[in-house]
Amino acid sequence: MKAVPLIFGAILFVVLSATVHAELKWEQTTLELHPVIGDKEAVGHFKYQNTGSTPIRFKSVRTSCGCTVAQSQREEVAPGEKGEITATFKIGDRTGTQVKTVTVETDETAHAVTVLSLKAVLPQMLSINPAFVYWSANEEAKPKAISVKAAKDFPAKTLTVTSSNPDFLTKVEPGNSPGEWKINVQPKQTTRATAAALTIRPDFPKDSPKLFYANVSVTGAPAMVQ
Amino acid sequence: MKSSLLRQALILVALAFIPGIGQAIYYRDRVSWESRVPLSELVTVAQAKSWGQNALWVDARPDTDFERDHVPGALPLNEDRWNELLPQFLAAWSPEKKVVVYCSTQSCNLAGEVARRLRNEAQIKNVFVLRGGWEEWLKEKK
Repeated sequence: MKAVPLIFGAILFVVLSATVHAELKWEQTTLELHPVIGDKEAVGHFKYQNTGSTPIRFKSVRTSCGCTVAQSQREEVAPGEKGEITATFKIGDRTGTQVKTVTVETDETAHAVTVLSLKAVLPQMLSINPAFVYWSANEEAKPKAISVKAAKDFPAKTLTVTSSNPDFLTKVEPGNSPGEWKINVQPKQTTRATAAALTIRPDFPKDSPKLFYANVSVTGAPAMVQ
Repeated sequence: MKSSLLRQALILVALAFIPGIGQAIYYRDRVSWESRVPLSELVTVAQAKSWGQNALWVDARPDTDFERDHVPGALPLNEDRWNELLPQFLAAWSPEKKVVVYCSTQSCNLAGEVARRLRNEAQIKNVFVLRGGWEEWLKEKK
């Protein structure tokens, strides 16, 4: 019989706790962005609303990598108020699909930590395989091939290749189908260490062609990059 | 009889909550995380140090972190300036070297990404990720 008031008290506590609460409702916790060729960064907006009856305070907003900066518009969100966390991802020389997270910590008792996920699908332009070829010291100085393939939505017709070091000769040949090429690289000698960066310039976009790189070297003694 | 049963049930429920509450309090500031780097590609500080001159250390952290401090002899190679920094790394690399890539902590993914690109794009073998990253290096240094 003594348990009845206890149970009643517990139910009352739960009901009261549910009515006086703070809750940050996120419109979405995952965003997928598709930057285009030439974009330097990708920006995602994570929108939220405080659907509770008490204010919510942001304690911290942390990103998973130095390449992403996240900012909150305000430190405190009043009941009913809307806002957003802006996440800016610096593309740099990254390739492929990148997933970065933003960890948001608030003073909510029920759900203090929310992980927001920013997925950036970077445009695939050229695939270069391999992006590095080398010759061991005194290996026969035979040409080696680098295959280049343009993505479907990257309409390059021709490629030009330049070497940063005259120690390497390069020749571009068309591949088996349109949008494919073979770069033949040959060192003039393999008796001493040397290296070069190959700059691959497609004819697209016409106004400011995007540059790609491959590297070649003769390994052995300490090398010099030119 | 009934109240005794109810009491026992409540005690059992309360006991069942204890480990969960403990874990929630202990890990309250942490987000669950799992390394994307397979165990076979991880290397400890002690192992990497034992490779001596045969190890080529690569710092995958942002430039500012590298400039502040880094493993002696390490080369910077991050994805912010990949095209610019890669030639410097390749000039120091030779086939017999074991490449040890590190970033800040165990949970950072930068080293894994740099290691993946070295393997897939440059087709370099013997590329490892330092377990625990720079934080672990500092601990072992003490």
